[in-house]
Amino acid sequence: MKRNTCSGCSLLCDDIIIRSDGIFIDEVIGACLKGKERFDQTTAKNRILNPMIRENGELKETTWEKALEKTIEIIKSSNNPLLYGFSNVSCEAQLKGMELAESIDGFIDSNASICQGKILDVVNETGITLTSITEIINKADLIISWGANAAESIPRLLNKTVFSRGKFRMTGREIKTLINIDPVKTASFNVMGVRDLALQIEPNKDLDLIRILMEECCTADSIPSKGVAGIDKSDLKRLLLHLKGAENGVIFVGQGLLKPKLDGTNIIKELLDLVQMINMKQERGRISLVLLGGHFNMAGFDQVALSTYGRNGSLQFKDNQLIETQDTIISKINSDDFDSSIIVGTDPISHLPFNLSKKLCTKPLIYIDNKKSATYEVADIVLPTAITGIEAGGLTYRLDQVPVELNKILNPPNKIPSDEELLTQIMEKL
Amino acid sequence: MEMILNTVRMVDHDQVREYVYGDEKSLMENLAIGILNPEDFKNLNLTPSLNIKLSSEFGEVIVRNNRDENIPQGLIIMPVSIWANQLTGIKGKEPIYKNIVVKLEPTRDPILTFQELISCIKK
Amino acid sequence: MELYKFLPKTNCKKCGKPTCMAFALDLLQGKVKVDDCPPILEAKYKKQYETLKEMLGGEEGQKKELQINVDEDACDGCGICVTVCPVNARYCPPSLSGKAPEYPPEEHQLFQVKKGKCELLNLKYCRRLDAQGRERECRVCETYCPREAIKIEYT
Repeated sequence: MKRNTCSGCSLLCDDIIIRSDGIFIDEVIGACLKGKERFDQTTAKNRILNPMIRENGELKETTWEKALEKTIEIIKSSNNPLLYGFSNVSCEAQLKGMELAESIDGFIDSNASICQGKILDVVNETGITLTSITEIINKADLIISWGANAAESIPRLLNKTVFSRGKFRMTGREIKTLINIDPVKTASFNVMGVRDLALQIEPNKDLDLIRILMEECCTADSIPSKGVAGIDKSDLKRLLLHLKGAENGVIFVGQGLLKPKLDGTNIIKELLDLVQMINMKQERGRISLVLLGGHFNMAGFDQVALSTYGRNGSLQFKDNQLIETQDTIISKINSDDFDSSIIVGTDPISHLPFNLSKKLCTKPLIYIDNKKSATYEVADIVLPTAITGIEAGGLTYRLDQVPVELNKILNPPNKIPSDEELLTQIMEKL
Repeated sequence: MEMILNTVRMVDHDQVREYVYGDEKSLMENLAIGILNPEDFKNLNLTPSLNIKLSSEFGEVIVRNNRDENIPQGLIIMPVSIWANQLTGIKGKEPIYKNIVVKLEPTRDPILTFQELISCIKK
Repeated sequence: MELYKFLPKTNCKKCGKPTCMAFALDLLQGKVKVDDCPPILEAKYKKQYETLKEMLGGEEGQKKELQINVDEDACDGCGICVTVCPVNARYCPPSLSGKAPEYPPEEHQLFQVKKGKCELLNLKYCRRLDAQGRERECRVCETYCPREAIKIEYT
């Protein structure tokens, strides 16, 4: 039977078998729990089927003409609009969003700037070595998971990278070493074997570990005898031995390491320096990085912005032209530097800090998504769209920056447009 | 008592799953929760039916409690949700989601429901 | 294994099995009785004999079925059991590199991930029933599940 691609998380598995009659999905084979939830969103009871407008404090259903008319009215009367989201939609829709921002003098940004985008600012100076999932399956012999809980955020990642038998690693699990660095003993610690290393580090002490590894790479035998950051001396020596002797190593970096410290020091720059120094001293191998992300097209936004406008991340337009800016979505909302907002495919009220959510609600808000959430309860206009990956196709980028094409399997109910078609309609009416 | 807070993603307490399969009652039951080490649970004289009140420099919230022995002492974890984000904030241009210092005390006050929190935000 | 510790461990083959480990596995499954091992009836093994009789209790000689239980609430569909099972690896080529096997499932396939949860298809070709020697000790699905959702039991 034909295989399809799942759009549940940023791993984009392409070996899922789906049986459907064109109207409903009957059988889903091979997908994990997060993928099954994504396929269940087609018939969920909190799905939005008609556009809505808020009158007298209550949301009421209306027609497409009236909803689009009110949307154009809000956009035309605002000088400084804000566009946010764009990580649950295809690359074509992201490009249309940027063209819309250009024509209305707005500021556009995606979830990546509060999740992973901090890495891309630093990469300009030091460079970054990346790798792809197929390379890890076929060649990797050392896998380090730092600040990430792969078993609960991307369930099939450990299955594909650690347990598989690749062309040059035919004995599979027996020849791969897994190292876990995390303060909490999570579910990922349950797949360890006798050759693996489980390091329970003290909270907030990752910088000390990076600095001592860097010193050790240059000189030898300067590890303090009582260990560092809760890890004792013998475990540190084993970690260093694995790092220096690996033929093809990978470090999975998660949110636990990418968080900023309260006193402003930058962990990412020191981590990239460490990886570069180890690679220079290696005789026969190299170490690369993979960033674990949440939504399935978070990497695509930066690729589209870089190839179209020459900048990765936040774009500010004025007088229909791109201008230089240091702002991110956080600074724009915090300084009240906007007068309306368009949210596409995400739920900021649930994942932004409380003070920013309050400021976001004081101005008119247009919500474009396929299901109800916390942001739906405070929106002024609601426009439903089709689910990307099931009811609409497009191009997406995986977490290792490899492009993957998504197909259309079903027709959307009520003839709902896709995100790309809706943004094109808004632009034409302006 | 002072502790350190981390907001994390967990498979059993997932926001998207409650939006698709559950309703507002199951949303509050599964997401308004803080998990700590059994030793800390004993030292604070907590019971499973008491609620806990957490306050940081950015805000405060009341949630229910649970125990897990895989968590080190002095740490408390909460799933990413609208309740956890009452305690997070910004420093400069960066949002702070992990390693926040909080004060913890047991209480009998009730937990705010989903709709009540939304109306707090809208005001 | 608990029962193997109290056997003579000489591999003398007087019971008809190739090793003491194989005898211990059959003892657990109820296919043989403690008295079927001739050396253990001697005087120097009296203490081990009595311990074994006590451990097995009244269930000695009753045939026990192999059961592999999957806890539905704990499973999250990661598919590690499908990739790591040696029978799946031999008969379903896509599972070698971590991919989902074909559908409808092949005759020898043991595990399948359906609707986001792991499902056991049939036990006919499991290593614990079908193989010889050390391969009968196979416990890889129980050892490597990250959520500890698979349990091997004899009832």
